[in-house]
Amino acid sequence: MNQAALIGIGVFQVLLLLLMAPLYSGFSRVIRAKMHSRKGPPVLQNYLDLIKLMKRQEVVSQQAGWIFRLTPLVSMACMLVAALMIPLLAIQSPAGSAGDLIVLIYLFALPRFFFALAGLDTGSTFASIGVRRELLISALVEPVMLLVAIVMALIAGSSNLDIISREVASGQFPLSMAFWLGMISFGFATYVEMGRLPLDVGEAEQELQEGPLAEYSGPSLAVMKWAIYLKQLVLVAIFFALFLPYGAMTGLTVLGFLAAMVAFLLKALAFYFIVGVLENSMARVRFMKAPSVTWLALGAAVLSFVFYLANV
Amino acid sequence: MSAIQLFLLSVGFFGAGALAALLFRPAASLARWLAGAACLAGSISGVLCALSGAGTALNGVAPQTVALLSIPPFGNLAIALDGLSLLIVAVIALVGIAASLFMLGAAPEQASIGFLTNLFMGAMLLVAATSNTFFFLVFWELMTLASYLLVIWEPEKRESVRAGFIYMLVAHAGAALLMLAFLILYQKSGSFDFNAIRQSQLAPALRSLIFMLVFIGFGAKAGMVPLHFWAPGAYTAAPSHVSALMSSVMKKTAVYGLLRVSVDLLGAPLWWWGVIVLIFGAISTVIGAFYALPERNLKRLLAYSSVENVGIILMGAGLGMTGLALNQPVLASLGLVAALYHLLNHAFFKSLLYLCAGSVIDQSGTMDLNRMGGLGRRMPWTALTFLVGALSISAIPPFNGFVSEWFTYQSFLAAGRVTNFSLRVIGPLSAVCLALAGALAAMVYIKAFGGAFNGPSRSPAAGAAHETGKLALVSQIYLALGCLVSGLGAPWVVPWVAAIAANFGGGPAAVVSGGWTVFPLSAGQATLSTPLIAILLVGLLSAPLLIVALLGGRRVAARSDVEPWSCGYGYRSVMSLPASGFDQPVKVTFQPLYQARRILEKPFQVVGGFSRSAVQFILRAEPLVETVVTRPAVRLVETAGQWIQALQMGDIRVYCLYIIITLAVLLILSFGRSGL
Repeated sequence: MNQAALIGIGVFQVLLLLLMAPLYSGFSRVIRAKMHSRKGPPVLQNYLDLIKLMKRQEVVSQQAGWIFRLTPLVSMACMLVAALMIPLLAIQSPAGSAGDLIVLIYLFALPRFFFALAGLDTGSTFASIGVRRELLISALVEPVMLLVAIVMALIAGSSNLDIISREVASGQFPLSMAFWLGMISFGFATYVEMGRLPLDVGEAEQELQEGPLAEYSGPSLAVMKWAIYLKQLVLVAIFFALFLPYGAMTGLTVLGFLAAMVAFLLKALAFYFIVGVLENSMARVRFMKAPSVTWLALGAAVLSFVFYLANV
Repeated sequence: MSAIQLFLLSVGFFGAGALAALLFRPAASLARWLAGAACLAGSISGVLCALSGAGTALNGVAPQTVALLSIPPFGNLAIALDGLSLLIVAVIALVGIAASLFMLGAAPEQASIGFLTNLFMGAMLLVAATSNTFFFLVFWELMTLASYLLVIWEPEKRESVRAGFIYMLVAHAGAALLMLAFLILYQKSGSFDFNAIRQSQLAPALRSLIFMLVFIGFGAKAGMVPLHFWAPGAYTAAPSHVSALMSSVMKKTAVYGLLRVSVDLLGAPLWWWGVIVLIFGAISTVIGAFYALPERNLKRLLAYSSVENVGIILMGAGLGMTGLALNQPVLASLGLVAALYHLLNHAFFKSLLYLCAGSVIDQSGTMDLNRMGGLGRRMPWTALTFLVGALSISAIPPFNGFVSEWFTYQSFLAAGRVTNFSLRVIGPLSAVCLALAGALAAMVYIKAFGGAFNGPSRSPAAGAAHETGKLALVSQIYLALGCLVSGLGAPWVVPWVAAIAANFGGGPAAVVSGGWTVFPLSAGQATLSTPLIAILLVGLLSAPLLIVALLGGRRVAARSDVEPWSCGYGYRSVMSLPASGFDQPVKVTFQPLYQARRILEKPFQVVGGFSRSAVQFILRAEPLVETVVTRPAVRLVETAGQWIQALQMGDIRVYCLYIIITLAVLLILSFGRSGL
């Protein structure tokens, strides 16, 4: 695929993820309402919320400095860069030379760093407590994601996401126990990182008033929310690129392009559906119980590594 | 000038600086100025030395050995600058520039600090360049002594005397092991000279014994777990620019020593040596990160974080050593590149963080994070430079800490591909340790930055703080730029590191970069382009602004005069989360680890009890040192000054005579030499 086409695909892919992200979050709100036997908001409600927030006046805590103001921009920019690095529509990633899978996982640390500092910057109690919860979860989940990434990279012989993706799609990659366990544990880590029940502890609406988001308002809040929606969809896209890259096009054809797009949208829909059902069939647990859940994911990841070593 | 000449010039500057500080002891401000200027000049010539030597050293030309002084039973004080030595010289000198600027601007006005800092710098340079085990130990001891005296620069503070004592104890226990190792080498090879030792035939068991001795000996100095406990106290007690030097440079001389002896002198013949280094590195990484987190004292927090980073360097070094032993060139060069690159990067960001911490502590009058807060508004430049350091050390792309950790990950992947089964198990599991430590490190630095710079001021002193002085600020900005250059400029910096690694480990230099990307020997394995990520990130910062402008339209201007939401009550600054509450979830989750710490520290409590009585002794002995060592030295210098004054008669003919006598002596000397 030539460079120009790749750049074009990249721009399209970023716009697609950016524009569809609120829709998918709206979809999970609908699922939640249905499972609660409520009527619920329309699917497009998130878009209306975002636009309305952008028209509102912004109110900032007097403690807050430039980190607080910069955070929404960094959060969104970082997710856009991540969106550009995934082999989503084509099996080749548009900005593949920017980094491999390890870079992609570490790239999520940048917005988290700023997000946390912004929470502390306001001096708000709710924000700070949200921050420390959020960080514990990330410390528990990051090793899981990395271990799975390393097992995948060892099997594929490269840690470049598009090479792993290509091998899985073409059937070269052995679909062994290591692969399936890795998929389960990475899927679980994705679920946790998406901030879903029972682990939506950082931005817990009921107890912490959305945690680090508590002091944001107006356009900043809109950008923050949009960046969070985008982060969820990007995580899902990484999961698919690693484990279910089927449908992404190998050559450049109009039909292949449309098929790849539809395939991704449907896969994402299925993922959000499963996540929604799982989430709403569970009760909230106390925050300090979270580690006992994430240990399971680490256990699965270690098992996947053991199976890789044993060559099963 | 050649590299050797520049090296000697640099050492000469440090010597002159030390002497000047001693001579002008009564005029403290002048002494500080002279010592700082000499230290700066010495550091700059050190950097020039590294630059001028790099070309020839990396082209595979065997390093020129220059004998300066010969003491018969111990051999020559020989200086040899190969690639690795030049890298360490560069690291010492690059950080030295910042430390001397900071010393000029913000160090306490005490002549002894200027004297000792110069001595410390000179000793470190000589440790990195000497190629004789006897003189290596002499300079090693000089380095320890100078840093010890800097740690106890406030002898009236009990805490610092105690910290100094523990430091001295550990450093000397380590040095004793080194001495033993070098004596065994002397006995077997009949020489203290590196070259002779390299060529000597040693039994593998003996090599392993020597390796274990130097591993523990250097490990103690490097602050590797479980020999790390001296570091937090010592760094806290020392003046800030010395803490920066100790944690970001002195530790590296220990890593240098370990590599020099085990790889260069002993040839790293056995694969399990590297695995031991790797395992201790992994443990240090995780333990360092865990123990850094609950610290409220900013300097202690940074000290534990140094333990973590030394662990990362050791992991890379261990993998490199194993690769050399197993004859796996990919693993060997990746491991060494990761270790040496992290060594360089850590020098930049850790010294940056220590200097910023020094400024913050000077301004807020406390080391307690709970009593800072809100300094970001009062010290914006310090906050910005600290943020650069914090992002770098937390391994966040595209900053430099990430690039070297990425290389460490790549060497883990390379380790996972070799046929040695234990390495295939330990490699990826150590990678998990690195991932966990990375997440914890981010938390540590969010706590440090947030506690110091964000939120409301939590003490009156913090509320009255001002931006630090110009020179200190220049030193911080210089180091922050160093972080950015070695991070964003990785594709252009890493080839040098790879050349040094190849020069040290043997074999051709590994190709690790091309165009704007770096990669682990082949681009098919993995790629990373920090400049591209940076450009994309900065460019895409505009995207949300654009979206808001398009969709938001006109709206009322923002208000920033409100208080944080506190459920409708009046907000007070005590409502903000103090730094000590920040890590509570981690403390609860990983409780067993912190409990284990209490149990493990029991033996050291015993040492602590012993040290309390030792402190009493030192407090009494300290004046003794003053009368026995320092005062005679001062008197000697003063008398020597009078003698020198006697030589200055003011008559031009006498001066001509001096010149002629000098020339004659030099001529005789040179003839004598060529005659031999």
